[in-house]
Amino acid sequence: MAAGAIRFALLLLAWSGITGGADLALGALSAAAAACCSLVLSPPGALRPSAPALALLVLRFPWQALRAGMDVARLALDPRRAPTPGEITWTPRLPPGPARDAFLAYASLLPGTLPAGEAADGSVIIHALTTDPAIADAMTAEEARFARAIGADA
Amino acid sequence: MSLLVDALALLAILLGLVFFAAGTAGLLRFPDASSRLHALTKADHLGLGLIVIGLLPRAEAVGGPARLIAVWVLVLVSSAAAGPLLARLARRR
Repeated sequence: MAAGAIRFALLLLAWSGITGGADLALGALSAAAAACCSLVLSPPGALRPSAPALALLVLRFPWQALRAGMDVARLALDPRRAPTPGEITWTPRLPPGPARDAFLAYASLLPGTLPAGEAADGSVIIHALTTDPAIADAMTAEEARFARAIGADA
Repeated sequence: MSLLVDALALLAILLGLVFFAAGTAGLLRFPDASSRLHALTKADHLGLGLIVIGLLPRAEAVGGPARLIAVWVLVLVSSAAAGPLLARLARRR
């Protein structure tokens, strides 16, 4: 109940931040619906996010976005270079479930990697613009950072 | 001071447009659906981020900057959710 109320309050705060305080009734309705969905999708107490690790992840993100964008832009605009796309399989440490899905969504924003489904043996297929075996190690390091931030590494 | 801020803002917006153009070039040039998703998500995210940075000094003091950053974050979240789903579907075909 308390977790639901906190989520509702934060969502309503986000609503008023974005709309400047307009249509609060509609905002309260949306925030209530969103809080209900979030309680179903991510029940409280399952994860213990770590504030410093989360802050590190958020602060690193603009740098990652810069690298990812430059990477793609160079391949797209330089006529002498062409992508050599390929797929690598990578075995996640996180068990199947919401935490792994959240990491895979996050990984799609990182330079060069786009998760593209699961292989028959349970490993994850990563589509890469430039096929490089080092990608799997980078994914594992990134996964460890992500798991620490959301508190799924215990 | 304000001239310098304006110049930097203009530079950020122009750079943002370059990355949007790069994303579109990738969409046309890259060989398969998943590679095109890389182009459309990563280059455009950076482009949008730079345009948001360029517009920040012009935003109204109350709520404006928060709204601009919220636009960027919402686009990131939605394409992080949609990108892997589309890549998975593209692979099945």
